[in-house]
Amino acid sequence: MPGTAPSRLAATLNDAFLLLVLGVLAAILSAAMVLQYAFGEVPCPLCLLQRAAMFGVCFGILRHFRDGASDRSIGIAQAFGVLLLVVAVRQTLLDIAPRPGHAYVGSAVLGLHMPVWSVLIAVALLLAFAVKMAVLGGDVAPGAAPPLVWAARLLGGYVLALCAVNLVSVVVQCGVGQCHTMGYRLLE
Amino acid sequence: MMVAVFMALLLALLLDRVGRPAPALMALAIGFALSVGLFLFEIYSPEDGFRMPWLQSARDVAAAVVG
Repeated sequence: MPGTAPSRLAATLNDAFLLLVLGVLAAILSAAMVLQYAFGEVPCPLCLLQRAAMFGVCFGILRHFRDGASDRSIGIAQAFGVLLLVVAVRQTLLDIAPRPGHAYVGSAVLGLHMPVWSVLIAVALLLAFAVKMAVLGGDVAPGAAPPLVWAARLLGGYVLALCAVNLVSVVVQCGVGQCHTMGYRLLE
Repeated sequence: MMVAVFMALLLALLLDRVGRPAPALMALAIGFALSVGLFLFEIYSPEDGFRMPWLQSARDVAAAVVG
């Protein structure tokens, strides 16, 4: 029943939820870049793939605000959420047993290393989408409130800028070849 | 290849922002496929393939103790 009070409330809650997820993802990507540039932690290839997966989730959410509520947008976000989970779990398992030449990349935050945080983030993302769909359903009325659309546009611009900075950073770190954590290839 | 992944994702975000959804989705699909390919390339080991033999250490130790 589009236009009725409950469905409009559901749509507003849906938009607010997705905006919150987008904001959290933008904050996480920003924190990763602060760790990289301010604390000198060069990201590993799997770490970069996890960032790429997060940008994919952001894309799905931004499509929601551009196109209105659709299962396709959330499907895109969930597909990249699963990619994030697979990459993060594999990286966690790679270094889970102490052996020569294998240790978690970077420093621990609150006792957990980055790949473990990525697993938690991916699980939280997928769980959040599942709870959202269970509580609000997938057939919420289209058309977000203008303030939420503007906030999404603003955050979308920020995510776009983050992605551009990441691209430049990847070019400097990896060139056009394989990425390594030893340093920035173009600065050597 | 990592450069190609981020280039595809940036292109997708950019095209979506300027109101070109179809090419944006195409760029995103390419970015997704490249990410999966690069992930498989990164985790493949010539010795172990895609297996993770270090996770079997507990079983191996138990087998050695029993044996």
